[in-house]
Amino acid sequence: MKSSSFARPSLSSILQPVFSLRPKHGRPIICSTILPKPHTPIYLRPPAFQATLSELKKWHIWAKNQATSVGSTFSDLDNGPDSTLLHRELNWLVEDALEQPAILLPQNSRNNYDDATPLSIRACLDDLYKLWKQRIEERRPFQYVVGCEHWRDLILSVEEGVLIPRPETEMILDLVDNAVKGNEELKNGLWADLGTGSGALAIGVARILGLGCGRVFATDLSPIAVAVASYNVERYNLQDRIAVRLGSWFDPLKDVQGELSGFVSNPPYIPSEDINGLQAEVSKHEPRLALDGGANGMNDLIHLCNGAASMLKPGGFFAFETNGEKQSKFLVDYMHTKVKGSFYGVNIISDFAGIQRFVTGYRA
Amino acid sequence: MTDQDTIVSSPPKKKVARTAKKITAPTKKESQTRPPLAKSHRPAVVSPAPKKERSRRTLNYLLRSSKEEIDKQEGRLLVIDRVDSDVMVLSPPYLDIQNPRIVETVSVRRNNATSIQHSLKVQAKRPPLEKLIPRLEILSEQLNKPDLWDDPARAGKISREHGSIMGKMKEVNAFEQELFEHIDMIKLAREDNDAELELTWPNGTETGSPKALLQLRTHIKEKELEALLAGEQDPCSCFIEVQAGAGGTESMDWASMVMQMYIKWAEGRGFGVTVVDEMPGEMAGIKRATIKVDGEYAFGYAKAEVGAHRLVRISPFDSNKRRHTSFASVAVIPILSDGYSRVQINESDLKIERYRAGGPGGQHANTTESAVRITHIPTGITATCQNERSQHQNKASAMAVLQSRLDHLETERQAQINAEHTVSLTDINFGSQIRSYVLHPYRMVKDHRTDYEVSDPDSVLQGDLDGFILSFLSASLDKNKDEDL
Repeated sequence: MKSSSFARPSLSSILQPVFSLRPKHGRPIICSTILPKPHTPIYLRPPAFQATLSELKKWHIWAKNQATSVGSTFSDLDNGPDSTLLHRELNWLVEDALEQPAILLPQNSRNNYDDATPLSIRACLDDLYKLWKQRIEERRPFQYVVGCEHWRDLILSVEEGVLIPRPETEMILDLVDNAVKGNEELKNGLWADLGTGSGALAIGVARILGLGCGRVFATDLSPIAVAVASYNVERYNLQDRIAVRLGSWFDPLKDVQGELSGFVSNPPYIPSEDINGLQAEVSKHEPRLALDGGANGMNDLIHLCNGAASMLKPGGFFAFETNGEKQSKFLVDYMHTKVKGSFYGVNIISDFAGIQRFVTGYRA
Repeated sequence: MTDQDTIVSSPPKKKVARTAKKITAPTKKESQTRPPLAKSHRPAVVSPAPKKERSRRTLNYLLRSSKEEIDKQEGRLLVIDRVDSDVMVLSPPYLDIQNPRIVETVSVRRNNATSIQHSLKVQAKRPPLEKLIPRLEILSEQLNKPDLWDDPARAGKISREHGSIMGKMKEVNAFEQELFEHIDMIKLAREDNDAELELTWPNGTETGSPKALLQLRTHIKEKELEALLAGEQDPCSCFIEVQAGAGGTESMDWASMVMQMYIKWAEGRGFGVTVVDEMPGEMAGIKRATIKVDGEYAFGYAKAEVGAHRLVRISPFDSNKRRHTSFASVAVIPILSDGYSRVQINESDLKIERYRAGGPGGQHANTTESAVRITHIPTGITATCQNERSQHQNKASAMAVLQSRLDHLETERQAQINAEHTVSLTDINFGSQIRSYVLHPYRMVKDHRTDYEVSDPDSVLQGDLDGFILSFLSASLDKNKDEDL
């Protein structure tokens, strides 16, 4: 282990109790609420059900017709999915739910499988009908239907009550990766992901920090999010390096004030009045808590910005996701005026679509 | 990578299996399919005639039958062919484990003797052994260095390559002897055409002989395949890319038929198939699609398909039921493994784009659409992927496609510099029309490069392509040889 100005002994004395999720070491802050039990994604369930090939084919044809009948209605209505995308999602549902998904592929339709062949599936046939109906009729997000989201190189469990991580957010990890490259102090320090949701960013950051001394706190106000994030953390076997804590933003991190080497956040940033106009998958199904950023969408970003000044140690790195150019510029301006002198190297970074999505910088 | 692993480790195991099969399978088949042959005439193991003599007689018979009695004997020859392909299932060292079809297509209706002659011809064109010897020396030298294992990855690569070449040398040497023997025999057989024909068959006195011949032929067939696929990149996996030509829905439908044909062909051969990129047409079919074909020698076989494929039929999309001609072009790109030198890609040369519906994105939108397109600015080459479930994976897949395209481009550039490869380059000319599929007014698939043709387009469209591929590979080998002279 590389020695640095970082006070190693005191750090480990902090970490010891914090990072063990075993009940006897657990802090009251974690155990005070009984967390809900997270759902298991379909692809991880045992193939405990059976249906014949002909039954599955019948379901598949029905589901395909449902997808086709959507046409471009949803995308015209609110930028929702079109048939092409729904067909692709159906393939993924088949992939997740069947033990041998290949059997339903079009190129196998001429193979002489017996229609009476019993096939193992991970959800019963009735549920498959129900799930696809929910997808089409209720516009339930596909990720909730299958219980997982493929995000970066991770497969994260998600369910109602937890924001589905967005592809844009993947880029925050590239920003973190660049920041810690060649900076051992950041790499071996304490990090935080505030409003962690499914735990996506916390898990990504912990994997970037690697096997050194770097540790990550993940906080969320929602007990469901804390439960799901903990589940995902354990699935990636990172429970020794990530502590998931229940509470609002920095509140559960009072014990490490001024000691953070870095923090990341994708806080709610949509202006309240815009929420109802979003595509049905988002407005009707995803948690408002994770989306609604107040009147101008900036409430939480400003709060985080203020907190960053007191939580980060000098040289500490931060990266926020914002709603776009307007918010990013506002935030940079805020840092240069209201909390003047607290930060340096403040920068706006665009996402793949060219939208000025992220604000990064360092604590002065 | 694993290609070489298998080459090194598998032959002994399979040889055992082959020998076992050789003894049992044909015996069983023969006793089932040819009851009239008196069992007493056919000692199970020991045959009365000396080996050489025996084979010679049979060759006589077969050569004769090829000229005069094919019709009469066809039933029996087919039996032989089937026995042959049974043996093939277990036999080849690293080409044909899952799928005997390739052998059947070539062998059915061509008798053993001519087949062997053909194989020998192909054999003769193998890249000369001398090329391998200096390489082997370099490798041995490196293997003996004490610091070899300081870099385990490199050491592994070296020892694998060494093992693979050693294996090849051994095979070649052993085979060479056999080869000379049989070349003589074929010559002899030609000379005294009909001499001992009646003694060998159909009286059943020499039923051991066809068996010996079959074994020889099986073996030689493997060698032939090996020789056909001796290109440096042939063992690689590959991408196959199909693009619809001009002509709207009809040609997009044709492109998707062509893609299905390759998917079925690849699956039939036991290759892994993944759809990397697919751009559906508005009404039906595809504008373009890319599949990844994983497996040993995938590129070696698939490279025979590069070019424009032409379809002639009454279009189901034309309400006036007119005859249409449409084209789909096929590109095949090898996926070089770590052993090859690869083009270095500069991150700053890349333009990476996501497909999105527009709008503010981020938390506003929940979509599973995460397509990625990467453009390599200096060359203008692009790669797209949208079938993975995360943007990150789509990007990784698109990068893999881009890398292979750039590698391929570099290989072609090198080949242009290196005059001896210009021939193979003109063979793989993207624009040239290589094959016609005629569904109306008559039914036929014909390859314009080899004149190989089949009168059953349906089976071809169902992926039965091996006949076309093999005939092209043999033909291009001939061509290369001619150029060399």
